[in-house]
Amino acid sequence: MLFSRRLMFGLAIAGTMAGALAVPALAGEGPTEIDLFFPVPVDGKLARDMGTLIKEFNEGHPDIKATAVYTGSYDDTLIKTRAAIKAGKPPSAVIMSANFLLDMQIENELTNLDALIKADGTTKEQFLGQLFPALQGNAVINRSVYGVPFHNSTPLLYINADKAKEAGLDPEKPPQTWAELTDWAKKLTKREGDKVTQWGIAIPCAYDYCGWMMETLTMSNGGRYYNEEFGGEVYYDTPSMLGALTWWNDLVTKHKVHAPGATPGPAVSTSFISGNAAMMMLSTGSLTYVRDNAKFAYKVAFIPRNVRNAVPIGGASLIVPAGLEADKQKAAWTLIKWMTSPEKSGWWSRATGYFAPNMAAYKTPEMVEFLNKNPDAKTAVEQLDVAKPWFATYKTVPVRKTLEDEVMLVLNGKKQPKEALAAAQKAADETLKPYNAETSLKLP
Amino acid sequence: MSLAGPAALPVATSAAPRLDLPKRLFTRFRASLPAYLLLLPSLVFLALFTYGAMGRVLIDALYQRATPKAPVRFVGLDNISAVLADPAFTGAVVNNLIYAVGTAIPSIGLALLFALTLSRTHAVSSALRAALFLPVLIPMVAASALFMFIFLPNVGLLDYYIGRLMPVLPNWLGDPDIALYAIMIITIWKNAGYYMLFFLAGLQAVPEDVMEAAHLDGAGPYQRLRHIILPELKPTFLFVIVIAILNAVTQVDHVFVMTQGGPSNSTNLVLFYIYQQAVEHYDVGKASAATLLTLAALMGLTALSFRTMANREGGP
Repeated sequence: MLFSRRLMFGLAIAGTMAGALAVPALAGEGPTEIDLFFPVPVDGKLARDMGTLIKEFNEGHPDIKATAVYTGSYDDTLIKTRAAIKAGKPPSAVIMSANFLLDMQIENELTNLDALIKADGTTKEQFLGQLFPALQGNAVINRSVYGVPFHNSTPLLYINADKAKEAGLDPEKPPQTWAELTDWAKKLTKREGDKVTQWGIAIPCAYDYCGWMMETLTMSNGGRYYNEEFGGEVYYDTPSMLGALTWWNDLVTKHKVHAPGATPGPAVSTSFISGNAAMMMLSTGSLTYVRDNAKFAYKVAFIPRNVRNAVPIGGASLIVPAGLEADKQKAAWTLIKWMTSPEKSGWWSRATGYFAPNMAAYKTPEMVEFLNKNPDAKTAVEQLDVAKPWFATYKTVPVRKTLEDEVMLVLNGKKQPKEALAAAQKAADETLKPYNAETSLKLP
Repeated sequence: MSLAGPAALPVATSAAPRLDLPKRLFTRFRASLPAYLLLLPSLVFLALFTYGAMGRVLIDALYQRATPKAPVRFVGLDNISAVLADPAFTGAVVNNLIYAVGTAIPSIGLALLFALTLSRTHAVSSALRAALFLPVLIPMVAASALFMFIFLPNVGLLDYYIGRLMPVLPNWLGDPDIALYAIMIITIWKNAGYYMLFFLAGLQAVPEDVMEAAHLDGAGPYQRLRHIILPELKPTFLFVIVIAILNAVTQVDHVFVMTQGGPSNSTNLVLFYIYQQAVEHYDVGKASAATLLTLAALMGLTALSFRTMANREGGP
């Protein structure tokens, strides 16, 4: 029996150790420990920049010890945050894709920040007033603040200036309307018999990017894509979106200036850098990549309009998950305020290529100097005047995918725009049904 | 000491044949106690991480919330019928069947061909074996990232070469008709070398004297393959087929990395569907129901293959 007794002893030790791990460390006299979940949607260098930022914060705040935890892509970050909330150990702050906030608020996963703002002696209006107006839509839900914009983007038109000159076009006067863009794309497409050796334009369509581009085209065609005030409605089967998708489809099938099929974002930027596509529509987040890799002169411009100039924002906001202890909540709020201050916000913008949400960041001397050196970074900021919120609904991702799946079918020549949008609308309505049953259709 | 227990068992039972039942059971239990204690650690961990999780899935599959803010309530088999009625799920099952058949047959065929060609060991064949086995060593995620560049439309490695032959190039991962087959190519490339190992081992077991006798009787290479080698390899085939089908259900890393089930759900496989339900739709009930259905199918398959193997061992 000696053997089994030793075994029991071993099990007992293992059990005690597991128990010790499960019991949370008792709060001592030390600094408040908080975790910050952060995604890296673009380059790996961001992780190093974040390390620098948090180190600086900890040195300036001896009573708080913040730890930055890398959590993958935007989608992964949502998954990991939700898993941590479910496990009862939410992180104290998360850099969350700006259009996931509404869905999280509906699921009761966010802390309402109004009280924290009020405790600082600031009004909500003063607080929001520091931000570019276009960014407020994704941070405010039911007139309460749920997120603080941290880094943001808009879609841009990138033009290979060398190829434009070759084709007799003036890159200093980029196309401003869809008609002009179609004309440019035709002139920039090169063929050898049936084979296309250079495409006029490339627009990405993979999950996530495809929905954002559809919102971009729909908005510049006068449309809205979704109900900004209420998470239970999307406007897929509408003339504005029909026009947008039909034009995109025409670029592929009628004008033959856009490669057929759905092309993911990295393939589009590679195609542009290699000279295979003369123009592309892509996020400002890719600006640094293009600046570092293009071996030709390039030019960035506003997204051309058909009805009006309008683009959605992209990027991420800082949020505080629900269910935190008061001291952690307070520490997280200190961290968030520090990270979104004009100086830090501007520093992060220069390091990453995103623009800084805090308008005061552009008045700092470092930023003024940077913009003088890199005038292309200015275009994204100027386009903010016509920017609008990013689509956010109940179950944002599945609702977006219903549209993306249909757009992919159209770009592959398997469906016509009209029937595709009707199918997408039907599928999206089905997904939104439970939410409507609880809100708009719940009648007295 | 623990080994002495079972040996003492017959003595104890024969010495007291008329003991009442509880006592006899107790004696038997005492005798096998060390065995249970030795099994205990594995049982604990299996219970915690396998059966416990499966039990949880079973329970989760029976609950659902009606509206976002409503509490979960018992719905019985509603989740299962909702999954079965979901065209995305049936689509994923069809895709998975195409994927399983379309990857198992070519990779097993190639593996057999490689093994037959390289069955004799010498310097050249060893080097070739190593070369063919190399894809197995590359993690699926790394291989997917690699193939994403190979498949890039217009500028990728594949289009660079094929572009000289074909005027209009396919969009490998962006066309719903082609994407699943592009994904299948990676699986075949990655698994053929792995299955080759099993066939190489199986070939070692083909009796040399039978082969020699066949040779002396004038049997040609095809006859030897058809009547001696293939029948001898039957157990290997069975094993490899089961492994290949299990792989087709469980190895979907490249779908995550390369297509996320798209375009238009054309590369959506069952495991990815479960992930989508759990993570994107935030619908634990439906995800659990789909998991249960998959588990049932896999258990059925495993039981079937075990029975076939047992039959073979028992038979002449």
